[in-house]
Amino acid sequence: MTSKNTRSAKLDILVVGGGTFGTSLASILAGRQRKVRLWTRRAEQAEEINREHTNHRYLPGIKLPVKLIATNDLKASLQRTQIVLMVIPSKSFRQVAREIGDSLQGDQIVVHATKGIEIETFKRMSQVLREETCALKIGVLSGPNLARELMAGRPTGALVASQYREVGERIQPLFAGSHLLIFSGRDVIGTEVAGAFKNIIALAAGAADGQGLGDNAKSLLVTRGLSEMARFGVALGADVFTFGGLAGIGDLMATCASPLSRNHQVGERLAKGESLKQVLASMTQVAEGVPTTRAVYLQAQQMHMTLPIVEAVHGVLYQKVKCDKALHQLMAIPVGKELAALRFR
Amino acid sequence: MNAAEKEKLLTEVVQRTVDRWCRDPKTTEEALFDTIYHERRRLEGEKKKSVAKRDRALYDRSYHQGLKASAGTQREIFRQIIQRFANEVVGHFDPRVYALSTRVIPVAMNLLLNSVSPLRLVETLQGANSLIDQLDLEGQTHTLKRLARQATIVLVPTHSSNLDSIMIGFGLYRLGLPPFTYGAGLNLFSNRLVGFFMHNLGAYKVDRRKQAAVYKDVLKTYAGCSMEMGFHNLFFPGGTRSRSGAVESSLKRGLLGMGLDAYVNNLRAKAKKPDVFIVPCTINYQLVLEAETLIADHLKAQGKSRFIIEDDEFSKPRRVFEFIQQLFSLHSRIHLMFGQALDVFGNQVDDQGVSHDHRGRPVDRTRYVLDSQGQPAVDAQRDREYTRELARSISESYHQNTVIKSTNLVSRAVFDLLKEHNPDLDLFRLLRTGGAEESFSLQEVYGRIERTLTTARSLAQQGQLKLDKTLADKDTVAVASEALAHLGSYHRKPALERRGDRLFHQDRKLLLYYQNRLSGFAWEG
Repeated sequence: MTSKNTRSAKLDILVVGGGTFGTSLASILAGRQRKVRLWTRRAEQAEEINREHTNHRYLPGIKLPVKLIATNDLKASLQRTQIVLMVIPSKSFRQVAREIGDSLQGDQIVVHATKGIEIETFKRMSQVLREETCALKIGVLSGPNLARELMAGRPTGALVASQYREVGERIQPLFAGSHLLIFSGRDVIGTEVAGAFKNIIALAAGAADGQGLGDNAKSLLVTRGLSEMARFGVALGADVFTFGGLAGIGDLMATCASPLSRNHQVGERLAKGESLKQVLASMTQVAEGVPTTRAVYLQAQQMHMTLPIVEAVHGVLYQKVKCDKALHQLMAIPVGKELAALRFR
Repeated sequence: MNAAEKEKLLTEVVQRTVDRWCRDPKTTEEALFDTIYHERRRLEGEKKKSVAKRDRALYDRSYHQGLKASAGTQREIFRQIIQRFANEVVGHFDPRVYALSTRVIPVAMNLLLNSVSPLRLVETLQGANSLIDQLDLEGQTHTLKRLARQATIVLVPTHSSNLDSIMIGFGLYRLGLPPFTYGAGLNLFSNRLVGFFMHNLGAYKVDRRKQAAVYKDVLKTYAGCSMEMGFHNLFFPGGTRSRSGAVESSLKRGLLGMGLDAYVNNLRAKAKKPDVFIVPCTINYQLVLEAETLIADHLKAQGKSRFIIEDDEFSKPRRVFEFIQQLFSLHSRIHLMFGQALDVFGNQVDDQGVSHDHRGRPVDRTRYVLDSQGQPAVDAQRDREYTRELARSISESYHQNTVIKSTNLVSRAVFDLLKEHNPDLDLFRLLRTGGAEESFSLQEVYGRIERTLTTARSLAQQGQLKLDKTLADKDTVAVASEALAHLGSYHRKPALERRGDRLFHQDRKLLLYYQNRLSGFAWEG
């Protein structure tokens, strides 16, 4: 593995972050014979992936492609690649972005697949990348991508959005022929807002499931959630059509319907009476929806926007409101024209 | 620029424009007739009859020839029109006068100003040597001087008055820099003496009445080629003078992008000094010569303002004279604040010419423009986005380097009071009627100024804007009296006037104009 030749050979792509999604994406690429490296912070994890071909912490019981090689040498891997795919939780995103920034060059492309917002600053991940690196060709990958289904080789799709056409054009062929269809787009803001916001709706949908409210109620929540998401996104500068695409309704459908989704699980367990502390303590992975709710709630207040579902979820997570009460309160809000707020932008 | 360079520049501009527009017979034909159409329409409104007649005959001939011509001939006719445009833009630029002007500019500027009303000006200005004395040069002047030796500089100032280009001319002279090439509107050439020096101080002529797309392309190409040849450029990315009085936030990216094009072309040609650096700069006045016309125009159309104003204060010598007289008598300072230099991607550049990212780490800027083979290349879509990044950085720099003056601050304080006292009036009614009271007690106004000043000082401390010396050091009363001295004079109707212990707001449009300078900042108060 460490002969001189392989060390200096050019890579197709470097995936930064050995969590569930990062490992899944890297596995798909390795399976397509792409020259890919997976960077993990912990040396033991890289070693496990290289030797055992497993990632037991994040993808227990799943065999990874033999060709998938992991590393914990960020600098060396960065020098060998043109394309970097960042899959790091929003909480540690800035830190890793800064490390990457030490070796990154202006011709390199950086795409991230993190569905979250930086809580303290309300910055989107592309903004963090812009601040912490010299990269300009920045993009975001998002869509209905439940890791377990991805690993099982089931078909799905995702959107790569970037202001730079080249970004989509370089990422698409890497996944060509795989079960992950990559579409390209330009609306970075919409894609990032959708990716983060849908986790809040997933929490609400999970809670509705936990309460056993049925499919009609859940559909109501998801649809109105989509409308809130679009309103909020448009106010931040997004293109409203993005929310009707893979990164919007596409991701929302998967996350809100599937019990595989972490945020959905959190909502469901809260509805069944567990406390947030208990739920979070028992999870090995990050449920981005929890901090995102706080961030979006505060930002919406600053923007003088009313987002009823976000407020309800925030109440449950941070203000000790009971799930059933919050859901019933949602039914009591005054209703007007369904699409008025979106149509008359 | 010598004669050979000028010739080379002309040839290059024509060649590139022709190449771009005459790619195939169909586009050539369309562009040719489109240009003829726009030119004939323009000539309908031409005031000089002899010029109109001559030009009309030319375009009529081109039209009739073009109708029957082969593709090759059409291309030739179009080339001639482009050549004509290019000649006109470059104008009667005389390299000898250019060289001379760089040495005698103060004399030239005095002539220029005195030409407004020589006798009276000389009478009034005795003791006050020249306008130069009113000008303060601040900010990154050292970096600018240094970088000007090793790269092409594109100076991009904010724009609020037709005096801006003259101020910049002074400023560059004082820094010991050669004049910068820039495109000046035809109306600036209307005074023959001013026009003569404009041309010879590096200005090229921009005729805004010419609507043909190819004409605008000739202008852009001219700027781009001159950058490539190493001539420092100056242009106002806001396009026209800020109508509202606010610092520009949306910038014209067409011309900005020429810097990047020049940089890539230089890299490809392995030029000795390939770099093009952008230097944002703010020009800050206590009083703006054309304030009344500008704000009226802003309000008249709110966004659909007239692009060319030919009948403003700048065209009335008496007003220019009064304005300058006022500035002298009030010891008013004009601040030219030079920002940190930027590369064509919007990264900050230090005085060694090294680009830095947001964290201050050095960046190899050549790598932004490499294609997949590792060679420098133009990519129109990518480069548009790069230019958007640059525009964002310039806009940021404008805000950080805006020097707030007492007129701005006091106008904001009084305007806030007006709004607070009349919560039910919309902006237009407030401006027209002035609300319920025609004056405020001085005490209330002072209190408000104090609050606004506190906010301004904290913003300045955070580096979000800069404060004029009076605002930084003096107390509320001093700030107020300086502002009142300015706002109560020069303009036809005093914007604010003190009578006893009351303050009367008379021209609320002017208050709006001067306080707009503070919009776009994180302001509370």
